[in-house]
Amino acid sequence: MFRYIGKRVLLSLVTLWLLATIVFLMTWALPSDPARLILGAQAPEQSVALFRTKNGLNDPFLTQYWHLIKGLFTFDFGNSWKYPKYDVWDYLRAPLAKTAKLALLALIITTPLSIGAGLVAAKFRDRKLDRVIVLIGLATSSIPEFATCALLAVGLGVKLEWFQPVYSTKAESLSLYGQLQYLMIPAVTMALAYFGYIARMMRASTITALDSDYARTAAMKGLSGSHVLRTHVIRNAIAPTITVMSVQIGYLISGILGVELVYNYPGFSKVLVDATTDSDLPVLQVAVIISAIVYMIATLVADLVIAWLNPRARLELGNS
Amino acid sequence: MSSTPIPIDEQPNVLQASIAERRTARRERWKLLRCRPGFIIGSFIVTFWTVCAVLGDRITPFDPRKDRDGLMCGRAPCAPSSEHWLGTDKIGRDILSRIMMGARDLLLVAPPAAVLAIIAGTVLGMLMGYYRGWLDNVLSRFVEAFLALPVVLIALLVLTLSAKSDILDAISFGSRKVLIIYVVALLFTPIVARTVRATVIGERDLDYVVSAKLRGESNLFIMTREVLPNITGPLIVELTVRIGYSIFTVATLSFLGVGLQRPSPDWGLAISEGRDLIIADQWWPVTFPALAIGTLVIAVNLIADSIQEVFQR
Repeated sequence: MFRYIGKRVLLSLVTLWLLATIVFLMTWALPSDPARLILGAQAPEQSVALFRTKNGLNDPFLTQYWHLIKGLFTFDFGNSWKYPKYDVWDYLRAPLAKTAKLALLALIITTPLSIGAGLVAAKFRDRKLDRVIVLIGLATSSIPEFATCALLAVGLGVKLEWFQPVYSTKAESLSLYGQLQYLMIPAVTMALAYFGYIARMMRASTITALDSDYARTAAMKGLSGSHVLRTHVIRNAIAPTITVMSVQIGYLISGILGVELVYNYPGFSKVLVDATTDSDLPVLQVAVIISAIVYMIATLVADLVIAWLNPRARLELGNS
Repeated sequence: MSSTPIPIDEQPNVLQASIAERRTARRERWKLLRCRPGFIIGSFIVTFWTVCAVLGDRITPFDPRKDRDGLMCGRAPCAPSSEHWLGTDKIGRDILSRIMMGARDLLLVAPPAAVLAIIAGTVLGMLMGYYRGWLDNVLSRFVEAFLALPVVLIALLVLTLSAKSDILDAISFGSRKVLIIYVVALLFTPIVARTVRATVIGERDLDYVVSAKLRGESNLFIMTREVLPNITGPLIVELTVRIGYSIFTVATLSFLGVGLQRPSPDWGLAISEGRDLIIADQWWPVTFPALAIGTLVIAVNLIADSIQEVFQR
């Protein structure tokens, strides 16, 4: 198992390096002058030149690249351009924690719900219940999250008054229950968006497992249906589902941006949208790299969970 | 390979037979498609929005650009009424008219972006899948890494960097819409390339490719004239799926303020403009555009799903 973990971590580091390289190449290849972008077209040539030297824009290609890669390990990505006093990482940390809280809550809601729905749909394959679950999944995962969030804010927030329709900074001093009132609408939005992907995958892999020889053998041995499902089918069907959950993390992050903005939630997206209007390139770059790190960790955890559940996967990955 | 060469004078018949066969297959697929409820409902909704987009302000009840003089309800935004069916927005523009008009920009941008991504991705994926080797290895790693990044974040980064660039202005003819088409196409190219690559790998060792190689056809000929016609099925599926994602992405970008710009009646923009009214119980400026996006994306995905199922038979 340790050998496997070691190999897997090494593999993630390679992915991370590639991702950072893509981000760097993209920034470098686009035909724009970042110094001009932030200082404006009217800025005197002198101050533009000064800005370039100060932020290392005149450094050779490889030096700039090295700075970014070094940042991956030291978390020192330099300072924000718009707010030069702030280190980019410090600037992003607090909003990131808020976003993480939201994402976690969304995952807690959606995981049991969608895995359960996928199982039920597979068990009642091609019956009405299955069709309904598949259709709901298609609908919830195809509407853009910000639109769903707006609809939920109107429906659950303003009309039914179950939850708070808009975030307020008051929430931070409230009890857990009070805070939940302010988190449920964006969290449920994200949960719904994720629901479609997970439920579909769970349904498909459960159907494959139910049709398999081992499930038939187990049933013919005289094991009860629920026993077969619990010990044979779910164990095998869950692996692809966990993979999909981790791979889709990029979509989760993309979606959370819109949701936070609709709900006025002071997370990652507020900072990002500001950085876009201000052309604060380091902040944007680091944001992309952070989401790459999140992706890497998510896929790593997923693979470890799968390996823990299924010795066969452990063997395959350990040997390759 | 012991196939006897076909005499020259028999070739046309073979060709005709294969064309006829393909035509029958196409007709059968179309028949299957036509009776799927998802496809019917989806096409109906998409047609509705396309009609709105094409006719635009020629069929809207009010001018979508102008606020109404002498509003009936006094202060904007007016709640839905018999005059303004879906109410008016913050500055008194009729929401129904704006929603009908809003389909235009979205449908002008999203499908071309998907088409461009399909073209670029097909070229890339075909080169990867056909030649394999180191090129495929390197590109595959990059494609996989790229797919890990959140689409919207990359778009934010690219669109920020593209501001005020002369070169980009020149190739996008100074139009924001064209720039968005490029960016969204760029975001989707890797994922299309991956799909095409996988499909081409499944084809490249089949007999028809091998015999084309033995005939001494050039690689370019084999790729474009032999392999390409055989992967149109997966390509059509991919295209419809991408159009759905493309609409999704363009709407999100507009909502975030980096996509279509004011005063476009775009739905994402409308939600962004109306979101601070929710708390005051003024729900209509946000609800109706959100429903519009929802119906369009779900409809496209219903069509995509039906096509996928029919082609996979």
